[in-house]
Amino acid sequence: MKLNINGIDYHVDSDWQNESLLDVLRDHLGMTGTHFSCGIGQCGACLVHVDNEPTTSCITPVSMAEGKEILTIEGLASDDGTLHPLQQAWIDEAVPQCGFCQSGQIMRALGLLQETPDPDDADIDQAMNGNLCRCGTYPRIRKSIKKAALVLREAS
Amino acid sequence: MVKLTRRRLLLTTGWIAGGATVLYMLRNRAAAVAPTIIFPDSQSAAAWVQIRPDGTCMMYVPRMEMGQNANTGLAQIVAEELNVSIEDIETIQPSTSDVPPLAVTAGSMSLTAFSKPIAVAAATLRESLRAKAAEKLGSPVNDILDDVAGFRTKDNQSVTYATLAADSPLLVELDETAPPPELYTFNPQRMKTHVGHSTKPLGIEAVVTGAPLYAADITMKDVLHGRALRPPVHNAEIETLSTDDVESVPGFLRLVRDDNFVGVVCRTPGSVNAAISKIQVTWKVKQPINQAEIDRLVDVDKALADGDLEHVLHNAEHQSSADWAINLRFDVQVQSHAAQEPRAAIARFNDDHSRHRLEIWTGTQDPWAMKRFAAMHTGLSEDDIVIYPQRMGGGFGGREHYEVEQDAVRLTAAMGRPVKVQWTRKDEFMAARNRPASAHRIRIAINEAGTLTNWWHAYVSGHVVLARERLPGWLLPVARLGEDFGVIRGAHPAYEAPHQRVEYKDVDLPVDLGVWRSLNAAPAIFAIESAMDELALLLGQDPVAYKVSQMRDQVPRLKACLEQVKTMAMQRSLPEQSGYGRGFACGIYEERCFVAVSADVYVDREKGEIKVLHMCCAQDVGMAVNPDQLSAQMESNMAWSVGMALIERLEVADDNITSSNFDNYPIVRMAEMPSIDTKVIDQPTIPPAGAGEVALIAGPPAIANAIRRATGFRAQRLPIRFEDIDGNTG
Repeated sequence: MKLNINGIDYHVDSDWQNESLLDVLRDHLGMTGTHFSCGIGQCGACLVHVDNEPTTSCITPVSMAEGKEILTIEGLASDDGTLHPLQQAWIDEAVPQCGFCQSGQIMRALGLLQETPDPDDADIDQAMNGNLCRCGTYPRIRKSIKKAALVLREAS
Repeated sequence: MVKLTRRRLLLTTGWIAGGATVLYMLRNRAAAVAPTIIFPDSQSAAAWVQIRPDGTCMMYVPRMEMGQNANTGLAQIVAEELNVSIEDIETIQPSTSDVPPLAVTAGSMSLTAFSKPIAVAAATLRESLRAKAAEKLGSPVNDILDDVAGFRTKDNQSVTYATLAADSPLLVELDETAPPPELYTFNPQRMKTHVGHSTKPLGIEAVVTGAPLYAADITMKDVLHGRALRPPVHNAEIETLSTDDVESVPGFLRLVRDDNFVGVVCRTPGSVNAAISKIQVTWKVKQPINQAEIDRLVDVDKALADGDLEHVLHNAEHQSSADWAINLRFDVQVQSHAAQEPRAAIARFNDDHSRHRLEIWTGTQDPWAMKRFAAMHTGLSEDDIVIYPQRMGGGFGGREHYEVEQDAVRLTAAMGRPVKVQWTRKDEFMAARNRPASAHRIRIAINEAGTLTNWWHAYVSGHVVLARERLPGWLLPVARLGEDFGVIRGAHPAYEAPHQRVEYKDVDLPVDLGVWRSLNAAPAIFAIESAMDELALLLGQDPVAYKVSQMRDQVPRLKACLEQVKTMAMQRSLPEQSGYGRGFACGIYEERCFVAVSADVYVDREKGEIKVLHMCCAQDVGMAVNPDQLSAQMESNMAWSVGMALIERLEVADDNITSSNFDNYPIVRMAEMPSIDTKVIDQPTIPPAGAGEVALIAGPPAIANAIRRATGFRAQRLPIRFEDIDGNTG
């Protein structure tokens, strides 16, 4: 089995082909930026994009991602290391506290901005409501999404 | 390696910080932290702050990172004292073999206990470098002026730290008899470059790029995966166990059974889940676990009917009967930490020739305690064990125990190969040392002028730091003769009354208990601030003005917070319609942190929901080392306030913990989060205190008081449900 992750093909050993996409990413392929938190697709810490669709990888069998394009937090910055405007906004607003949920938050926000380039508060509430943050960084996440949205709109 | 004993460190620095290994030493708070400075001796790992031979600054960050970003504040202090930029400080999280033992990271103590020693360390280093610069430049020390990462003279000769460091090695020790160096951090006249500025948290780029930071992110060749069954409470015993089907699971390697420990080791995480699901177990518990039992145990009125409560905190001319203006009971339920990261650990045993026989990677608030426990558990000496502490995905007081580490050590020992243990969300709820339920009876009497005459606060709470799982059984009865500092926190009122009594009783609850953000302070101050708000209503007085008029004289900082938050709240108008309300509350944490909160709520009778619209928070914790990070902690505490007031309660039934995930232990979501205004009240002349759990004391009562004003309903039981309101007001 092969997986295309952040534009690169990876081989999945036979032992791992019945695992979740999350466990393969983390413990087989060593891409640990995507995190395990609830295990039932309810908190969004494990969120990645599969063919541009925000997907909770903890409840996605790896076989369902075969032949598709997977994007994880590790693939979000440009090849030259320039951060994505969402990542930069997250730094500018000093969003993270413990940080554990933030890669999932950023990947969910990416999905939102792809659909809705100029989101209002209600759009953000709706899109982000499935991503939990125990530290309560929501006000800063909201600000950062709006900031990154502006940067992306100005760039396009 | 140069070894410095703890005693010598304490002697050389003359500084002792509190709050350390309570697990072992109970009320003796002597075990502590102490910096020393060794320059530029790369042999020594005992230093926190070093200038390396190439002139760069290296700092072992002494706090365990879990989102509080205390190390950022400490690095700012080092930068201020050494005239270097934050980017030029290489910060390293030390292992237990790199530095002498550090106090547990808990109780919002980090800035309180560490800011001064680290300032002294860095300033002493700076002044020794200045003396060397004087020698090198042939000028009197007084003519050597600060420069960026070095010094200069008035006639513009300059020398960098790198040049000075390239000289001969120099050992710097603090001399208690000499006058201390000037501490730039604590000089209110100084225009500061780092302290007081909103520096971005250390490591923030690693977080947003998904770099490996947490225990489960450790990758290791040939690592196996394992997990153990978790009982609903720590003293439960296995009643029945069936493991017959487990061997049929693909990838299964071994079942490890040792009394009440049952664990599996497999090739992959998925096979661990499958193997665990094949095991059938029932647990025998010593106390029935259900809500009625918890309610019965904390029934404060029943306890008072039996006579005085066991511990009396304050007793001043107490009168047991008076014309009570307020006589209300408040109940608070069990809450769990529910940190976003479920705990994980990896252990590895090495051969006799290795520096460490046992290595453990884990996220913990107390790495040195993990080392001691692992030594007791394995029979190895402490010198043979090293803990590599990793960033934690939230701590909140719940990560001080040798548990996931123990699972990893047991399974690794059984396999002879490293095993990674990743707890599930359900494991987290089963293992949590929760915030106890408590019940408070508050009676207040006043004179004709409305001034307080009698204050009587009696409460029953589950244990906190003296919870049964935290101490050996033989020690418990003795320890419990004293006060449980978790249970008493927050009970000393900010208000003055000539007749005063505060008493409590602490009890075993059927669920596991321990330290939770703010300990008893949030429950106690919820009760106190609700009662005072009700009294202001009764007197027809403005709650802010009335509370200010009744405060103890020595708390002007609290008055300032409350008045500040009122000004902030007034900047928004609240609709005059029914259903809208604004509430205020305030409190003192550990007699050194002051906070006030306002909450605007809307009780939507059509949708059947309570919505917190907006909160304001003004806080004074002394010197504001990093104002933006102080705001971040206030915001976090407002989120927890909404959770405590409206959402969270650990569900228990049928001798089990039935909360198992975020669907049956919901936490605040984006759409439930109010907008928030914060105000940091800076006190440049007062040493900084911690802010990690301060504002949670005032948030829940502010919300409850807002609901009272919106609907007439006085919440006496948290969490407040919409149905409670309708039931009481029609």
